[in-house]
Amino acid sequence: MRRRPQVLTEVREAPAPPEREKATRVLVEHHEVLRGLMRRLLETPRSEPGRRRALADELFDELRMHEMIEEDVFYPAMRDVTPGIAAAWSEHRQLSDQLAALVRADPRSGRFDRELGVMHDALESHAHLDEERQMFPEIERFADEDLLVELGDRLRDRLARLRSSRRTRTLLRLQRALLRLTAR
Amino acid sequence: MAHRALDRMLDAIEGDGRLDRPGHRLEQGLAFTENLLGVTRGRARGLLHGVWLGHPVHPFLTDVPIGSWTMALVLDLTGQKRAARTAVGVGLAGALAAAVTGLHDWQYTHDNARRVGLVHGTLNALALGLYGWSWWQRGRERHLRGLLAALLGYPLIMVSGYLGGALTYNHRIGVDQTDRRLEPRRFTRVLAERDLTDGRPHRARAGGVDVVLVRSDGRIHALEDACPHLGGPLSQGWLRDGSITCPWHGSAFELHSGESLNGPAVAAAPCFQTRVRDGWIEVRRAPTVVGAPPGSTLVHQQEVRP
Repeated sequence: MRRRPQVLTEVREAPAPPEREKATRVLVEHHEVLRGLMRRLLETPRSEPGRRRALADELFDELRMHEMIEEDVFYPAMRDVTPGIAAAWSEHRQLSDQLAALVRADPRSGRFDRELGVMHDALESHAHLDEERQMFPEIERFADEDLLVELGDRLRDRLARLRSSRRTRTLLRLQRALLRLTAR
Repeated sequence: MAHRALDRMLDAIEGDGRLDRPGHRLEQGLAFTENLLGVTRGRARGLLHGVWLGHPVHPFLTDVPIGSWTMALVLDLTGQKRAARTAVGVGLAGALAAAVTGLHDWQYTHDNARRVGLVHGTLNALALGLYGWSWWQRGRERHLRGLLAALLGYPLIMVSGYLGGALTYNHRIGVDQTDRRLEPRRFTRVLAERDLTDGRPHRARAGGVDVVLVRSDGRIHALEDACPHLGGPLSQGWLRDGSITCPWHGSAFELHSGESLNGPAVAAAPCFQTRVRDGWIEVRRAPTVVGAPPGSTLVHQQEVRP
């Protein structure tokens, strides 16, 4: 049996910084993790399909968990602060669709490169153009600071729990397997 | 007054945040199913939205169950039992088609419209169940039971029909949401040509209208910076193979014509004519009615200096 490569993102083992942070800050930090994964994927050549596949799997899990914490904790709390929440929610759908297209593509093929390019653009559109440039500044101006700090704790907490949850891991792995199985 | 009561019902649905969690769960299930079946990236996507028609398919499919089930009621009253069962059956087939297209459209809606859509769909699912049972009972010669189920289901589809109407008339779901004014009629300066980078959409303002400028294959394209579906900012979208994709719901539009390629937008994005004069990009609204055939110089006026 082929051995799975070891976990590629060291962030998982990193201890949580002691100081408390605003929710927007926590999310931007996680955006950076996603961007780092994206960069490494783009740098990995077609000749290393195994590593590409492992990184794509990792991006799938990490991005889906990002969506989960935003949708379960952050967006419902910010509904009345900014009108942009519904659109951000829709953008998650675009990201999920694109993730599905990415894991369904063969890492040795040109299709994988194309899907990866779109993934990059979709992620930048959501994380940078929408959230970091428009939504987060608006939220930081209008939302209560204590609430944001408290949400930040909850987001970080939730993310740590999802990452270590065997159930979530299994569910995501099952989703990836099903998507690959039905790929044409 | 009837409209007051109906408005109150609509307000109650729109203001009920408890509908969001089941709504999003349902959408995630739909998303995963569509991705598994390859609908998201396939031809079926546009087909179900009605891109081929330039108009959503779901609203006119709903006429089939409403019409057939009304007919079944008439046939029941006149004692034509077998014909009534056939009418119920035809309605069932139409209702299933309407359910598939309706869910497909619903998953790309926002906030209040999403809540109304969820209730609309739930009522229809109940009616579908009742009529399905009615059809089955009629097949076993239990016509009274069949009639009773139909009598229970009929008011449900009336109420849900009202909610479906509210989705179109109040929330403008399926309606072209772009600004269909004629301005700017004359060529208007919008951006210095050197500021437009290749392969990256750029937002600019042309006489009260936001436009998105794109340089692709040596040509400059200008489209209105609002998706016809729900007004998403196309300038934050991405470019691929001569098309621009809306970041909100993934509708892709052909750059040179504005035609929708996959939905959920079924209308074309409005196009502008572009030219370059003295180092400035100028745009004007492409006339909506053109005497010259499409593809002529009048439609695609283009002057890009090297």
